[in-house]
Amino acid sequence: MKYHLISLGCQMNASDGERVRTVIEQMGYTYTEQEEDANLIGILACSVRQNAIDKVYSKIHKWNKWKNKTNLITFVSGCVLPSDHEKFLKLFDIIFKMKDLPNLPEMIQQYGITTPNGIQNGYDVQNDQIAEFWNVKPDYASDFEAFVPIQNGCDKFCSFCAVPYTRGREVSRPSVEIINEVRSLVERGYKSITLLGQNVNSYGLDKPDTEIMFPELLRQVGEIGNEMGTEFWVYFTSPHPRDMTDEVIEVISQYKCLAKQIHLPLQSGDDKLLIAMNRKHGLEKYRQSVSTIRRLIPEATLFTDIIVGFTGETDEQFDATRAAMKEFDFNMAYIAKYSPRPGALSHRWFDSIPLETKKDRHQVLTQDLKLSSRSYNDSMIDKTYRVLVRAAAKHDGYLAGLTEGKINVRFLSDNTDLIGQIVNVKIKSAIAFSVEGDLIA
Amino acid sequence: MKSHQVINLRHLTPSAYIIRLEKKNFTFKTGQYITLGFSGSIDRREYSIYSAEQDDYIEVLIKDVENGLLSKKLKKCKPGDMLDIDGAFGHFSLKDDEVKNKKFMFICTGTGISPVHSFIHTHPEMDYTLLHGIRHKEEAYEKETYDSNRYVLCTSGENTGDFNGRVTEYLLKNPVSPDTICYLCGNCHMIYEAYDILEKQGVKLGPIHTEVYF
Ligand SMILES: Cc1cc2nc3c(=O)[nH]c(=O)nc-3n(C[C@H](O)[C@H](O)[C@H](O)COP(=O)(O)OP(=O)(O)OC[C@H]3O[C@@H](n4cnc5c(N)ncnc54)[C@H](O)[C@@H]3O)c2cc1C
Ligand code: SF4
Repeated sequence: MKYHLISLGCQMNASDGERVRTVIEQMGYTYTEQEEDANLIGILACSVRQNAIDKVYSKIHKWNKWKNKTNLITFVSGCVLPSDHEKFLKLFDIIFKMKDLPNLPEMIQQYGITTPNGIQNGYDVQNDQIAEFWNVKPDYASDFEAFVPIQNGCDKFCSFCAVPYTRGREVSRPSVEIINEVRSLVERGYKSITLLGQNVNSYGLDKPDTEIMFPELLRQVGEIGNEMGTEFWVYFTSPHPRDMTDEVIEVISQYKCLAKQIHLPLQSGDDKLLIAMNRKHGLEKYRQSVSTIRRLIPEATLFTDIIVGFTGETDEQFDATRAAMKEFDFNMAYIAKYSPRPGALSHRWFDSIPLETKKDRHQVLTQDLKLSSRSYNDSMIDKTYRVLVRAAAKHDGYLAGLTEGKINVRFLSDNTDLIGQIVNVKIKSAIAFSVEGDLIA
Repeated sequence: MKSHQVINLRHLTPSAYIIRLEKKNFTFKTGQYITLGFSGSIDRREYSIYSAEQDDYIEVLIKDVENGLLSKKLKKCKPGDMLDIDGAFGHFSLKDDEVKNKKFMFICTGTGISPVHSFIHTHPEMDYTLLHGIRHKEEAYEKETYDSNRYVLCTSGENTGDFNGRVTEYLLKNPVSPDTICYLCGNCHMIYEAYDILEKQGVKLGPIHTEVYF
């Protein structure tokens, strides 16, 4: 019995995919790269962009044609808009919410067509281990980098985003499980662990009486680092500026294993555009958080997300974003040209900024970003950094990795045994977005 | 998503109407919105809840929009029809501790008065001023349900309100004290303008709450 799984979109889907694999493999399925060979095909959908949605439709139409020739079960989960949900019900055999993952084996076994799995009784669907989604042990894609979901869903309702409608409200995973998973990863030698959620720093807010809050969760993770004494870096993404408290920043500054890299989405540098985006914070709140970061963790790198060309964005408003870009000296910004996302509130608002203007603004902002990135990277020259080696670089004979601050580094070495290890690299040259150095023995 | 039966429709003007739906076990925080659509249909739109938290029904105030899809269709629904409700969503809501001891300024245009109606009828004891910006006096939806000493009707299309002009013009002439908690709801252009005025008058973004309809 073979299965094929496609995870579209964000890291959250990729992380959920690791858990889906575990559940399916526990049923006796083995993974195949070839869709054509699979008896079970699943897709974790993404509703952020129309082309990702179109891909789901094109795939399922193709798979449904194959059903004339083969016994095939198809399923879909992930971010599904209510309007697509209705249509998927008719197209897919199984549609489930990620929280119902533990019931997937039952859904497959009882699907009602003869499949090898339908007639075998070997798999205990009541398996205690997977009684809850969060308990499903993921089949991590890497053996040195892992993503640990800590929270799912979002209550923020940014007007450009459909996540609150597709993933539902914020639900925090029990902290005990998170701590256990992080501890177990560290014990197994993982070097980079990312706490993942649509709104990580809202952690615990949905269970104010029974759960710890995000700063305390970070503190407990930090304590694991102190206890173990090994070197590893813990990141979190994505936080919301509204819930970014000084306490979170203080905790990061206090523990060695909490990575000194912060991703804080700004989206726009103009207060009124932030209102239209329904971000529920202004530039001043963002400025305060950045100033606390600079004060308590001066070595921290700062990443952000920006949308250019949002409905109604004037030249002056775009200039305000440029000014913010300059003021905050970002190391990296994921700059998106606004496109109305199906299911999001702003989808029905007139998309007033022409594509050409969006492209121009994207280009201008990217140039600004290059300057701030380059200036930071230049300051790294002649210094030695700890670098997590991740892969062979595109250029032959080089390895590529990331510093704790997630700056791309490459260095001359063909020793692929170093992949997954943290090594010393002395930086000798820099360009925007990356640096090059020498491996120090 | 749950199906709720339509109890009745109240037509306030040729274009604005209120749909009352059975509540079942639906709960919400005053100021929040729902998404609404015909049962089984994929077309859904956001509507602020007009009724109070304690009412045993749900009401929404809708204005049919020219060339609009759903606002026109919903106007034709009849008692007994089933509508699907999802929610309640959003953060345009009051803080419990502020309700008792703060001064509020509600600034809204058109159907943007809907969540404000819900605020005031959920907490009748609130200390508030309500600025309702409309073009013509018939859009003063259920004006009689507000305390007339606290309600300022700003009409921009004719001189029939308490103030002849837009809500933003009223604000310029009648500055707000910086410790006022302000809620702005409706058309984004009014919200942007009012935001600038309030900021100049010393009100910080923290106490300015916004809900953009379009
Ligand atoms: C959070 C939120 C709460 C809302 N609450 C209410 C409410 O309580 N009552 C209400 O009537 N509407 C409300 N709206 C607007 C509502 O969701 C729909 O956009 C509106 O009913 C038009 O839907 P439609 O299908 O008829 O028009 P569509 O076919 O969707 O398109 C109509 C166009 O008109 C614009 N538009 C929307 N509302 C208006 C308006 N009032 N006047 C002029 N143009 C408009 C839209 O942006 C769109 O471009 C709310 C919107 C949001 C985002
Ligand atoms: S915070 Fe905003 S952008 Fe992020 S998931 Fe929630 S609604 Fe979407």
